[in-house]
Amino acid sequence: MISFLVLLSIVVCFSAILALALNFQWGLGGMVNFGLTGFYALGAYSAALLMLKAGANTFVATLGAIAVVAVVCGVVALVTLRVAEEDYFAIVTLGVGEMLRLVVLNEDWLTKGALGLTGIPRPLGDVVPPEQYQYFLLGLALALLLGVLAFLTVIQRSPFGRVVRAVREDDVVAATLGKNVLWARVRIFAIGGGIIGLAGSLHSFYYQYIDPTQFTNIVIAYTFMAVIAGGRGAHRGAILGAAAVMVLLEGSRFLKDAIPALDSDQLAAIRIILIGAGLIALLIWRPQGFLREYRLKVSP
Amino acid sequence: MQTLFNGIITGVIMTLPALAVTLLFGVLKFPNFAVGAMMTVAAYLAFALNAQLGLPLLVASVVAAVAMGFACIAIDQVTFKPLRERGAITLMVASLGLGFILENIARFAYGNTARSFELELARPFRFFDIRMNKEQMITIAVATAAMLLMWMLLTRLPIGRAMRAVADNAELALVRGIESARIIRWTWFITGILLGVGGVLVGMDRALEPPMGSNYLISVFAAAILGGLGSPLGAFAGALLIGIVSELSTLVMAPNYRIGVPLVAIAIILIFRPQGLFGQPYIRK
Repeated sequence: MISFLVLLSIVVCFSAILALALNFQWGLGGMVNFGLTGFYALGAYSAALLMLKAGANTFVATLGAIAVVAVVCGVVALVTLRVAEEDYFAIVTLGVGEMLRLVVLNEDWLTKGALGLTGIPRPLGDVVPPEQYQYFLLGLALALLLGVLAFLTVIQRSPFGRVVRAVREDDVVAATLGKNVLWARVRIFAIGGGIIGLAGSLHSFYYQYIDPTQFTNIVIAYTFMAVIAGGRGAHRGAILGAAAVMVLLEGSRFLKDAIPALDSDQLAAIRIILIGAGLIALLIWRPQGFLREYRLKVSP
Repeated sequence: MQTLFNGIITGVIMTLPALAVTLLFGVLKFPNFAVGAMMTVAAYLAFALNAQLGLPLLVASVVAAVAMGFACIAIDQVTFKPLRERGAITLMVASLGLGFILENIARFAYGNTARSFELELARPFRFFDIRMNKEQMITIAVATAAMLLMWMLLTRLPIGRAMRAVADNAELALVRGIESARIIRWTWFITGILLGVGGVLVGMDRALEPPMGSNYLISVFAAAILGGLGSPLGAFAGALLIGIVSELSTLVMAPNYRIGVPLVAIAIILIFRPQGLFGQPYIRK
């Protein structure tokens, strides 16, 4: 049971990091990312491949994954937003995400396709004894989560953070005030992408085995749900939302014992239906979420 | 030639959902990410009536399409109506969630295994060098008929003119006494029927499986954007073009990356002609 709780907490940490990334891109920056799953897979595979094929150590591989996803996200934002509106951006991110998943599935020489990559090394895997490894990984994931939170909080309170919100609220006003809206958006999307890359590399450290079935659209569903539940723009809210959603999601595994008539496909389907319904219900009844976005207070 | 013909078939199938996307975008001003899943659900509905209750496919499809029309009105009342004033992004996210729900209802009911309609097998016909099976002929006939009906509806009938008026300028339409709630209901109904028929055609062309509709999502959006979002004629041309180019692309690259074609198409359109082939240039206010 303890072991289950530790593993659950690790999974919560990944999804919280992912939720923070989406919260930065969408909650603060107003940029919808429907290609989240693809970028997440890109991060996981970049990290794994850097270690397995290029022989990089875990630290370099993580940095590499962050850089790869950040660059890809930045390019997507640059190409699309140079000309288009938000509606198009959502469609393009969805398409790019699908495309990345197809590359992973079909480029057998690189990703071993549906078989997946095995034997992914872990950070300090030969130093920390195996019995204690899960605690070490939990500590690492927590530290990284707090690190990302601190990083985003600093950004949010910096001048750039104000530009980010200005661009979300009204890009014309931001442009009129002399802010470079396009460049700001590219940076927003790339920073979020880097964080997604970090989450992806943690994913591959944790499972040590990655294959395309781990990266399905349920990732998009629960991450959006986490951000909406937590309150768009509120970083701590996103973490809280991710924790709540993951506990519900993992807890629903026990439904299988309660209702033995369901097979695993049906159970998976029910979970996604519940997430989708929860997402819409939150949008309708509690669009502001549970926590508020940070606001600069002038007087105490 | 055969590839070109297959491309035309793919394109013809996509005309219906592309038209649905463009109509909805025109009236409600948001891209509906649930169209794929809506097609899936309608196709499974037709499958239930056809293969399980033994109705002929034609009857089953008509019933499924009309049912989907009403279902869309109901879905709109429950999910999109309360969110109408919240802007396109919220509506998009809601439609994504809706898509997950619908696709997984189909998965819950029928599992992941591929199924197909009960159709009599027939030998493919041959015209010159082109092989053409019965399903493909039905597809062309049905889609052409649907497009003609849509064209009649949009240009000749009062409801179609009202829809175009709302799409063009909702406030001006309101001034002229067009009740937008009623138009929105009609738009959803027509959308549902188009998606229902489209879903059955997709199921006939390939097989029925839960992601069958969402596999077309990017291509359908590309078709609608290529034609100019909001322009019915453009959606038709865009769908044909995307279908043909996607199929022809398999001659020069791996068929698995067919989805790359609509994506590249979107990028090219957005860079060189953001308003699409038939769309009005978008003026920012």
